[in-house]
Amino acid sequence: MDTAQQHLAEHLITREPYYLATGSEIEIALSAYKNGLPLLLKGPTGCGKTRFMQYLAWKLQRPLITVSCHDDLSTSDLVGRYLIRAGDAVWTDGPLTLAVRAGGICYLDEIVEARKDTTVVIHPLADDRRELPIEKRGEILTAPPEFMIAVSYNPGYQSVLKDLKPSTRQRFAALSFDYPKPAQEAEIVCREGNIDKTLADDLVKLAAMTRSLKESGLAEGASTRLLIQAGKLYNDKIDIHTACRTGIVEPLTDDPELLAAMQEMVSSIF
Amino acid sequence: MKLAALSEQFYSLVAPDIPNEWDVDEVLEPLLDEEESICRIILDHVPVIWPVSHSLCYDFLRLAPGALQSLSIVQLPEWVGITLDMYENDGLRSAQRFMQNDLTEYLSRLKGMGGLRLEKIEKKLLPYIRGIARDTLQITAARETYTDTDTIFIPAELSVFRGEEENFLLYKLILAYQWGYIRCGTFLGKAPAGLPAYSNEENTLWLRNFLNDFPEPSLARDLYHLLEAIRVKHFLTRELPGLMRAAASLPLPDNSGTMATSQPHAFLHQLRQCITGSGTDLEKVLSPHLNRDETAKYLQGKATADDSARNTAILYERLHNQHEEYTPLSPLLFQGRMKLQAVARARCERKAKMEEQLTDMMASYLLNISREKRDALLRDEKEKNDGSALAESDISLIMDSEFINTADREKDAPLLVTINNESLELPEELDAFSREFMDEFGDLPARFISSAAGKAGRGGFSGETEDGDNKEKSLTDTLVFDEWDYRRQGYRKNWCSLHMKELTPIHTSFIRNTLEKYHGLSIRLRHQFEMMRNQERYVKRQREGDDIDFDAVVESLSDTRAGLPPSDRLFIRLKRDERDIAVIFLVDMSNSTAGWVNTALKESLVLMTEALEVLGDRYGIYGFSGMRRSRCELFHVKHIGEPYGEEVKERIAAIAPSEYTRMGPPLRHATETLQKIDAKVRLIITLTDGKPEDYDDYKGQYAIEDTRHALLEAKTAGIHPFCITIDHKAQEYMQHMYGPANYIFVDNIRKLPLRMPEIYRALTS
Repeated sequence: MDTAQQHLAEHLITREPYYLATGSEIEIALSAYKNGLPLLLKGPTGCGKTRFMQYLAWKLQRPLITVSCHDDLSTSDLVGRYLIRAGDAVWTDGPLTLAVRAGGICYLDEIVEARKDTTVVIHPLADDRRELPIEKRGEILTAPPEFMIAVSYNPGYQSVLKDLKPSTRQRFAALSFDYPKPAQEAEIVCREGNIDKTLADDLVKLAAMTRSLKESGLAEGASTRLLIQAGKLYNDKIDIHTACRTGIVEPLTDDPELLAAMQEMVSSIF
Repeated sequence: MKLAALSEQFYSLVAPDIPNEWDVDEVLEPLLDEEESICRIILDHVPVIWPVSHSLCYDFLRLAPGALQSLSIVQLPEWVGITLDMYENDGLRSAQRFMQNDLTEYLSRLKGMGGLRLEKIEKKLLPYIRGIARDTLQITAARETYTDTDTIFIPAELSVFRGEEENFLLYKLILAYQWGYIRCGTFLGKAPAGLPAYSNEENTLWLRNFLNDFPEPSLARDLYHLLEAIRVKHFLTRELPGLMRAAASLPLPDNSGTMATSQPHAFLHQLRQCITGSGTDLEKVLSPHLNRDETAKYLQGKATADDSARNTAILYERLHNQHEEYTPLSPLLFQGRMKLQAVARARCERKAKMEEQLTDMMASYLLNISREKRDALLRDEKEKNDGSALAESDISLIMDSEFINTADREKDAPLLVTINNESLELPEELDAFSREFMDEFGDLPARFISSAAGKAGRGGFSGETEDGDNKEKSLTDTLVFDEWDYRRQGYRKNWCSLHMKELTPIHTSFIRNTLEKYHGLSIRLRHQFEMMRNQERYVKRQREGDDIDFDAVVESLSDTRAGLPPSDRLFIRLKRDERDIAVIFLVDMSNSTAGWVNTALKESLVLMTEALEVLGDRYGIYGFSGMRRSRCELFHVKHIGEPYGEEVKERIAAIAPSEYTRMGPPLRHATETLQKIDAKVRLIITLTDGKPEDYDDYKGQYAIEDTRHALLEAKTAGIHPFCITIDHKAQEYMQHMYGPANYIFVDNIRKLPLRMPEIYRALTS
């Protein structure tokens, strides 16, 4: 159990993460927590969903256990499994079980990537039963009031094959995230990328331009995360054009024409 | 090298031809001075050119040594290649001319100098300007630079500078300026305060009237245009500092075409120099003519288009000389022309489109408000229409009066629709759209609400009848079908006859436009559908398979130790998912689909077929319509198995509203067709805008029951029917006809092209 405690301590966030509220999402999440409601965060990539969870975990002073979902994720990966240790079969808790036992926050990132038969395991946890059956041990864990489950997904490139089942969806209080308004986004980029205000403003302008390229075949425009990334590169004495190319333009697409067009935008702004 | 040896080599190269010895010796003579290696390289090209043209080959031999003075050996093959292309495209003369004269030009092009063609960089420029503008602007090549606010027209080639890079920069600058004009509101549609309004503003732009009202319109236009260019420059310096910095170093040639002799010319020249950055202080130019406040506005970039219009009038007064004729200046390279009639036309089109959209939105809104209100409203409308045509509608759209007098808050005042003196707040989407409309075009048209009410009253989005008689020719086959009569719980034997008809393909840019319009979407769709193709993937935890699933084995061992029954799913297997799907699309061609609905249906079909081609599913497309049981019609667009070619595309474009909707016979025919096809999944997807209905007694319950029966027959045959409808009242009867979850209601017709492939994907995966 000591090791488990130790594990949990690692998941506790001690320093306040930077998060700039764009609306009333913090109050809503706190209220959801108080009422034992699970949270569904939706929004494009790199708009601050994960950072929001970190902030929330810090604010509530609960350990945050994040699981990045993928299509090979099995129920055992979440709940736990028996392993053979020194000739004995030893039960090892999965991240979900760990979070339930410790009354932490379990955050399933990109939940749609997981197979549907895996995600049903959270159903009893996400409604008023708040319990996690551990089949192999014949045990039913009841979540303490401090436990919270949150999931996230990106409706942008959601495919029908990877949609959430309505039965899963309808257990959550949903918060919709989007890229912050220009002024706020600039503030975030300014602060996180440690760059001055004018540059942050220009980066945000560039982001808005790439985001309008959806019609021209760009799957998604530059996220706040990419802007911060470019800002950081610039901060490290990389010249602004290179910083934008490596930090923003190149990660977005491989299409040579779009790349060239975005490169031109960069050189037009800076 | 000896001449004899050379000609012997030449003869062996051109064998079995035996050209005239005298000719050969003549052309080979210049080669005698060359080194042997060079001769070999030149002669290496003979087998390529000789079969194409003998005389071209002689010319080549004659000119090659000279060309090699300036060409490097590596460039020779490309030079030959271009020559041959020229010969094949434009004939011997131009190929010869190219070899003889155009060498220098060719060389400069090789060095990256000379003109830059738009087509070469269009794919880069289009996303560039769209990104910059955050709007879907178009680019089109034209003789002159201008914009109609939807499209930016730019020269097909720029050769102002010697370097490609500078020309490209100029292209960007041109685009940026044109966008700047649009964005800064240069093309004034409404009269600014203090200037006269004109009566005929419906079809033309206020600005055009204003400028034409001057005795010398071209002077007024040049003044206004340059004042605006100053504004745009300020705007662009703020918005795109990088571009403007680069442009500042561009040595733009003076192209004004006139000498600065007269007073207006001198002033305009100075103004131009301020814009190109090559000359005098703007303050010195403006302050003698404008007062300090106005000058300051331009210096600080705070002027508006309204200011420019007012100042144009002032400057005109001061500068115009009645006794001297004014020769218009040719505009700055990046400034382009102002083609106000084109702007007015684009504006009109946009207005018409927005009006239609607004009407549709309003109509669907009215359909969703409570029934009594609507009925009362429609009754009133009808009485008015029957009575005096002049009576005013009782519905109107107003700003909330509480806000109306506080000027700065007026913009935020909620829009209210009042129906018989009862106010309703508009839904957000409609509100935003109306606001956008009012911002651009001033007031909402009075007639739009009543026409929305009219549309709503007709219970759907029915339009006017279109004559489609000459659009198709009948195929010979006539098929006979039974029809279900619910009253007697039996079939009426051989009741309907279905005529197969051929749609006459029409050549339009519809397909291309659609694909362009949904460019981003269609790439995405292509990608998504590619992922649905036959896939191979490993599945874990199988009872049998090609390899051991190690995780599963460990888990099973551990379970055994823990005293649990071990799992026997210990293998990994390669699974192949094969698609074996045949689908028929039945498209409603009844006259109620006229207008938007028809366009949306066609656009959806285009996107759908493009995506299906990627997927490889077999599919057919038929349109249906007709009148009475004796003349049901089925229009062939694409048979199952028919390749998707130009003709199919043209037939899709030819789908047009026709007559009524008798659903039974086409459904039964599709069922029969699919029954003959061997596929794991067979689908009939109907695209319709409303209930089945025909001119005779085929309506109401009778029509619904017959359709339902036709669908049941399909289901019995193992075919899945599915319906995509845009009828607002669909819920009532669709479930009865198709069964739950076998239809989908698309509430916004404009979303249909996006939704349809999505729906198909969901259906078949």
